[in-house]
Amino acid sequence: MTTIVADAHGAHDAHDHHDADHKPAFFQRWFMSTNHKDIGTLYLIFAIIAGIIGGAISGLMRAELAQPGIQYLHTWAMMSDGPDATMDQAYHLWNVLITAHGLIMVFFMVMPAMIGGFGNWFVPIMIGAPDMAFPRMNNISFWLLIPAFALLLGSTFVPGGTGNGAGTGWTVYAPLSTSGSAGPAVDLAILSLHIAGASSILGAVNFITTIFNMRAPGMTLHKMPLFVWSVLVTAFLLLLALPVLAAAITMLLTDRNFGTTFYDAAGGGDPELYQHLFWFFGHPEVYIMILPGFGIVSQIISTFSRKPIFGYLGMAYAMVAIGVVGFVVWAHHMFTTGMSVNVKMYFTAATMVIAVPTGIKIFSWIATMWGGSMTYKTPMVWALGFIFMFTVGGVTGVVLANGGVDDVMHDTYYVVAHFHYVLSLGAVFGLFAGFYYWFPKMSGKMYNEFLGQLHFWVFFIGVNVLFFPMHFLGLSGMPRRYPDYPEAFAYWNAVASHGYEIMAAGMGVFFINLIWSLIAGKKADANPWGEGATTLEWTLSSPPPFHQFETLPQID
Amino acid sequence: MTLAIDPRAELSRKHRKVARFATVAALASLGMGFAAVPLYRMFCQATGYGGTTMRVSADTKTVPVAGKLMSIRFDSNVTPGMPWDFYPEHKTDTVTVGARDMAIFIARNMSDKPITGTATFNVTPEEAGAYFSKIQCFCFTQQTLKPGEEIRMPVLYFVDPKILNDPDAKKIQEITLSYTFYPVEQDAKQR
Amino acid sequence: MKMVKSLILAGLLAFAPAVAMSQDAFAQDNAAAAANATAPVADSAAAPAAAAPAEKVAAPARMRPTEGIGMPRPGEITLQEQFSPTGRQGRWIHDSLLLPIITVISLFVLGLMLYAMVRFRRAANPVPSKTSHNTVIEIIWTVVPVIILLVIAVPSISLIAEQYKPAPKNALTVKVTGYQWYWGYEYPDQGIPEFVSNMQTPEKALANGEPYLLSPDNRLVLPVGRPVKLIITGADVIHSFAVPSLWVKMDAVPGRLNEKSFTIEKPGVYYGQCSELCGARHGFMPIAIEALPPAQFDQWVRSQGGDPAGKGGAAATAAAAADSAAAPAKI
Repeated sequence: MTTIVADAHGAHDAHDHHDADHKPAFFQRWFMSTNHKDIGTLYLIFAIIAGIIGGAISGLMRAELAQPGIQYLHTWAMMSDGPDATMDQAYHLWNVLITAHGLIMVFFMVMPAMIGGFGNWFVPIMIGAPDMAFPRMNNISFWLLIPAFALLLGSTFVPGGTGNGAGTGWTVYAPLSTSGSAGPAVDLAILSLHIAGASSILGAVNFITTIFNMRAPGMTLHKMPLFVWSVLVTAFLLLLALPVLAAAITMLLTDRNFGTTFYDAAGGGDPELYQHLFWFFGHPEVYIMILPGFGIVSQIISTFSRKPIFGYLGMAYAMVAIGVVGFVVWAHHMFTTGMSVNVKMYFTAATMVIAVPTGIKIFSWIATMWGGSMTYKTPMVWALGFIFMFTVGGVTGVVLANGGVDDVMHDTYYVVAHFHYVLSLGAVFGLFAGFYYWFPKMSGKMYNEFLGQLHFWVFFIGVNVLFFPMHFLGLSGMPRRYPDYPEAFAYWNAVASHGYEIMAAGMGVFFINLIWSLIAGKKADANPWGEGATTLEWTLSSPPPFHQFETLPQID
Repeated sequence: MTLAIDPRAELSRKHRKVARFATVAALASLGMGFAAVPLYRMFCQATGYGGTTMRVSADTKTVPVAGKLMSIRFDSNVTPGMPWDFYPEHKTDTVTVGARDMAIFIARNMSDKPITGTATFNVTPEEAGAYFSKIQCFCFTQQTLKPGEEIRMPVLYFVDPKILNDPDAKKIQEITLSYTFYPVEQDAKQR
Repeated sequence: MKMVKSLILAGLLAFAPAVAMSQDAFAQDNAAAAANATAPVADSAAAPAAAAPAEKVAAPARMRPTEGIGMPRPGEITLQEQFSPTGRQGRWIHDSLLLPIITVISLFVLGLMLYAMVRFRRAANPVPSKTSHNTVIEIIWTVVPVIILLVIAVPSISLIAEQYKPAPKNALTVKVTGYQWYWGYEYPDQGIPEFVSNMQTPEKALANGEPYLLSPDNRLVLPVGRPVKLIITGADVIHSFAVPSLWVKMDAVPGRLNEKSFTIEKPGVYYGQCSELCGARHGFMPIAIEALPPAQFDQWVRSQGGDPAGKGGAAATAAAAADSAAAPAKI
């Protein structure tokens, strides 16, 4: 196996192709990068920036919702729509905020970080490959995200109906997004999704090819680390789901601009068709966001229990099952659209089926811990937090799966609570777990353990105070996407807003830790986690050489 | 470092193969997205999904089932901004299952311009769609009304006796047939 | 500035019977809404006679809502109290079946985790086991969830069947139309043309003792005890007609009709809010159902110039009420 010590003076000008740590010049390296680790780093930086923006937007939302009445929205509308902004423009601004928050967090934070960031960094290393199969395409995938994000942010400055920006919700339902939103904002937002989708599809092709063709000798599919499995399943979901979204929103564009009537009842179209297409994409999309998190958590639990993962094959195929079943449950997002009884029954039953492979994963993680010899370093704490919070989000999903119960839950804060538990406390906990786990590997520096633990506890308390009361709000009937609410909802909304403050403080700790560790962190060993860390990335130096595995490792 | 030319070329050939396969899958998925438009329509027309009514030819044999009555309600809508008055002659009717019946809808152009309209339709409860058969309907074609003109538009329909064998649909007491009129020349850019 | 203006307006309202004025202020606020309204805006409390000049029947007095009934309670942590048979069945499924099960599952997972964390920490268990398979336990944790899901699925499927039972013959049909951003109600069989329902200003709601953001000017008036069938459509974009305390939520989709039937068991005012994002004032098109005993409902119909004996009229209302009193719905 190659053990190459990181070359501190990597930028010398010798044209030595055998030097694994020969790095190109700055512009070449970061703007025309074909190195999977550099591209992964770019993705992570991008995701952090997008996460700051998306998180700041949710801060605006929680500030407005802290009390009943319209507090700040009108002032903000005067900033965005001019000094004579009407109340309607203020309300429209609210819709713009919820839309932007959703789209940014889904397409520009979670997906780039999970798949682009950690996937790029560690899939090739974990399978013993020198790089991705198509390094240049990898670069294109990343750089497509920049114009996509620019279009989405830009859309908030152009008219979108009542006021500036796209106020359609991240679901972009027709006809609100067609005849209901004049002006170019929605067009820009749709184009943004097109480009981000193209980026993800290219990435998916790249990952599939890499994982199928570039595994080191002896690395069979059934020996791949679960993180690689999770990215493989995710890549297939991306490959099959995103084109459907592309088709759906292309038809939105032509309905908006070229007089077609795919979703317009006036011309014989059907607005429900858009919802079917959107959720045919949208439901796999939630697994796209969470599956890599499953993979990360599996690696971490195994590492810090010093035990191999329990029920490896069951774990791998549970993810495949979740991916497959995820394609046939979409209409549980549409229970109140007026579906016949039998259709509702089918989607209720099919949705519940997903709880079975998910349960297998939860119990297998616990069984991995069972009999282990556990230490509770920061990544492990995040992974444990993930398991419990994801369980809570999962069981409320079972409640929502019931078509009959959904009649009272649909489009209330209960749904908001549910998907934030699986995403904001599931996917995001997975991201932080992965970030702390691999930070020493990626940067060559150790993070600060105390700050990492502090970050976890403050963030954990914050998000629970923030999102748990939303269950109560939803049960007592508060609808989603409302900028103002009756007095009766004031109490739990105030609590939730305080939760946001706590969570934001936790994020402050994270950024302090990040900066401190990058500047003054202790130098990280090749394997800081000990004997439990068995995957290939821990056989390389921290950070790994610019080119790894020039001699392919042999897996037995 | 002994990577010979051959294995590398072999590898990139393999890469292209997998990538081609993946691209075809993505394109197929994209195609399915667009194909969903006609497929969804065909699915609705075949199964009555979404309360889509059935369309049958005039020479379809209909056999009334004596004593089995069904209440039919007629509902009419005009999209906001279309200057038409549009309403059913009778709000409800009671028909024998299997027997042909005619309902009249009345439309009047309230403006001083000729206007062409077309109607969308469905029935509720959704389960009734598969059993609500239209032989003739003004909604099959476009209707042009001169300024101030009023027309009486017939719908010739029957309730398929098979509804009595459907465990879900046989409990239906009343089927509502709903139309919404839209202007045809509605310019998409005129929003 | 706006604050001062609204304070002045509130002051005026407090001292003068300026109902009409607030109506004006409201109409101004909703200029677009007013322009689109096809039917006269008749306030059921303030101007009952407007719609029915011939028969001078006074509408029943506008019912005052009961605090905490048909509306969220401050600090509430569970579902609103239910006033329809499906509502009670649904609430039972949530409170007595789903909630206990998911709570137990969550606590079970938490307990296992905490136990493992303590028992198998490095200090307590320095040498990890190498177990990575156990077929029996893997089968158990596949089969047990399946059984739990079946336990959940049976009653919840029957709930779906129950709640989408086709409306009975004697049902009162009301047409509901969602507009940007108000609701329209029409009683086709009683001959009451569509009237629209706009949100009340904070001042008006305060004056009437009704919750702001939940209370519209005109309510959807329905009888108690008689099945109601709403036929629902949208005029412009998709809206959703929702009343949490009656377990009702149905999308209002343009170009398409949906129906939803239910029975209200007790007189009262039941509030709801639009539940599908429909543009700027999505949060400001509330719904209120005023459920009246049959006799008062008929009186209300007459006050609107309608005929209670239209298809399935007064007699049917009374009969249905007697029916439901005699045989209370199950659960």
